[in-house]
Amino acid sequence: MDSDEGGEDVLMPKYVERRQVEEAGGPVQLSTVFKAGDRDYALLSDTANNRTILSELPTKLGEEFGPLLRGLQARPGSPVDLDLGGKVEGYGVFTFPYGPVSYGVPEAGGFKFITYGERIVKVVPQVNFKKRGVENRAVGRDPKDVLPLIERSAGNFSAAYSSCFATAVEEALGLRVPSQTKWTRAVAMELERIYNHLFVFGRLSEAAAQNVATAQANILREEVLRLNARYFGHRYLFGINRIGGVSADLSKTDRKRLSGSIRAIVQEFRRLIDYFLSSRIFLDRLQTTAQLSRQDALTLGAVGPAARGSDVQWDDRLTYPIEPYGDIYVDVETEPGGDTMARTMVRVKEIYSSEVALRELLDGMPSDGCSAQARSGAPIMSSPEFSFCRVESPSGDLIQVVELDERGRIKALHIRPASLVNWLPFAKCLERNVFTDFQFAFESFGLNYADSDR
Amino acid sequence: MTSKYPRRAPTIDEVPTRAVPPVAAPSSDWQAGGELCPSGAILPSEKRIQLGKCVFCQRCSGAGFRFDESPEGRESALLAQTVQANDGASPKGPSPFKRSFHILMIDVGSCNACNLEVLNLATPYYDLNRLGIFFTNSPKHADALIVVGALNKSMVEPLKRTYESMPEPKLVISAGACAISGGVFQDTEGFASPVQGAVPVDVVIPGCPPSPIQILEGLLLATGRLEGKTGGRAIH
Repeated sequence: MDSDEGGEDVLMPKYVERRQVEEAGGPVQLSTVFKAGDRDYALLSDTANNRTILSELPTKLGEEFGPLLRGLQARPGSPVDLDLGGKVEGYGVFTFPYGPVSYGVPEAGGFKFITYGERIVKVVPQVNFKKRGVENRAVGRDPKDVLPLIERSAGNFSAAYSSCFATAVEEALGLRVPSQTKWTRAVAMELERIYNHLFVFGRLSEAAAQNVATAQANILREEVLRLNARYFGHRYLFGINRIGGVSADLSKTDRKRLSGSIRAIVQEFRRLIDYFLSSRIFLDRLQTTAQLSRQDALTLGAVGPAARGSDVQWDDRLTYPIEPYGDIYVDVETEPGGDTMARTMVRVKEIYSSEVALRELLDGMPSDGCSAQARSGAPIMSSPEFSFCRVESPSGDLIQVVELDERGRIKALHIRPASLVNWLPFAKCLERNVFTDFQFAFESFGLNYADSDR
Repeated sequence: MTSKYPRRAPTIDEVPTRAVPPVAAPSSDWQAGGELCPSGAILPSEKRIQLGKCVFCQRCSGAGFRFDESPEGRESALLAQTVQANDGASPKGPSPFKRSFHILMIDVGSCNACNLEVLNLATPYYDLNRLGIFFTNSPKHADALIVVGALNKSMVEPLKRTYESMPEPKLVISAGACAISGGVFQDTEGFASPVQGAVPVDVVIPGCPPSPIQILEGLLLATGRLEGKTGGRAIH
């Protein structure tokens, strides 16, 4: 049911339903809440029907959304605890603080482990140590000047971040963007997915002290980074996006070569996975470790490979298919296990399916140009209040909401990173596990403090 | 497969396109360049480029700044610099770090790209162990602290405490535009100060992020194994 009032001033992308939802729950996940104009909105994901729902608040928010809201609204300068509250007490129970300068996690972030020795009773992730305030810094500036900031919000998800932002801005401006631009963005995002998944695999094998596998995974990842540098100019894909365009015009020979190189890398990776699947000691560390049930994944709002490892079928490439994802074949890779092994296998299979997608993207790329017709300043938008975009970053669903003023400058920017919503499912699945399982759980979620703190 | 640097010059794959520093040409428009630059690295009033602020986005090519991407030009991307300590008491004489060298990375608010590039040094393509350099996980064992990221308000205290727990002699290496100057984050709410505002810095490595080879050059410079490296570029 569409609500009429206030509906016509919002640009409605496809696969979005606008209706009032009174309460999130069951298969309907609350994805984010944001303010646009003087109204409060909620974006929800209907995982049963693969639809995005835009609703106005008041949607009743249960207490399980408290941490998400705290994380979204946190100001820079002080750490924020992401937990559902509740005290754990008992004989010998103590809190073990970890971070923000920790060496198991190469980033600034912390945890409070509540434990009575070896077993973890409860984990409280502490984020916001590196909150920079990208959203506020963007306000009042021209979107094209904000791009360098956006792509440096989370360096290893840079292609996803900048493509999401550029798409949302283009939609608000009513820019017609050539297909080649969009296909090139998708190529960059798939390359990004491959190297991030390889990174996760490398970290998992490092945690299991599998030195040969670690070295092999690192070699393959470095090769993808070098491909990024060769074809897009930057190892982490900074600077590839413009508003209405991309900086890389891949020629036919380039595309053929890139496709061949990726195929060779993934072929090598398949051999590595054959060894991996026959290494009992490696598998023992992953199987049944940090189990997340499907129910918990849904209630706590898990996204990305973490959710798909618990059999939740949500992948923005299919459920929110911005061009070209509607035109190419992408498989949603799910695993029913819910353990670290399942999340790892989702990533492994996504590397395979990304290779297939890349082949298709590079073979079928249209050549209608890499920039929209030049147009300066004057916004041609009808009267969009805001526009939003969802993109599947390597760790999951990334949402950005952009509001522009009448001069085409950013009035408000809202970023809902994938890592922010995955902290709670992560904390939940680590309960009752032992300390040594921590790294496996952490890496398999692909949690990234820069992403969640932005 | 492993890099031959520093015995040989880095290859094209080791120094990516967007690591080459901008160079002013006679036709460069300083005013326009200053407006295009997202991090304030181009100073139109003084007509100079602060490479410590540069994020290598190449937007200033629109104002006539040049990037020498030829194989020879890529060597100009090795930009690490020693910094004179503020009190003028930087150690003279032979470096105390001529043998094994243990480094510790600390993130004080980065986007994760610098972290990954530092960690990449331990991968087979770069293999820093071949040069007697090792990662350590404790400040008590570290000779040098590699700081990455735009120093966040909530990380000032942890950074100072990490620095204080390192034994003498010790070095601090600022890697990346964010650590040196704040980069694109210098006007964000969470940014406290450049790293040298909190702890004394000995070596800076410009880049966004610096590639592993650029970081490796900074490490060799810190240990005093790159004697005769000429400076002269405006970092600060």
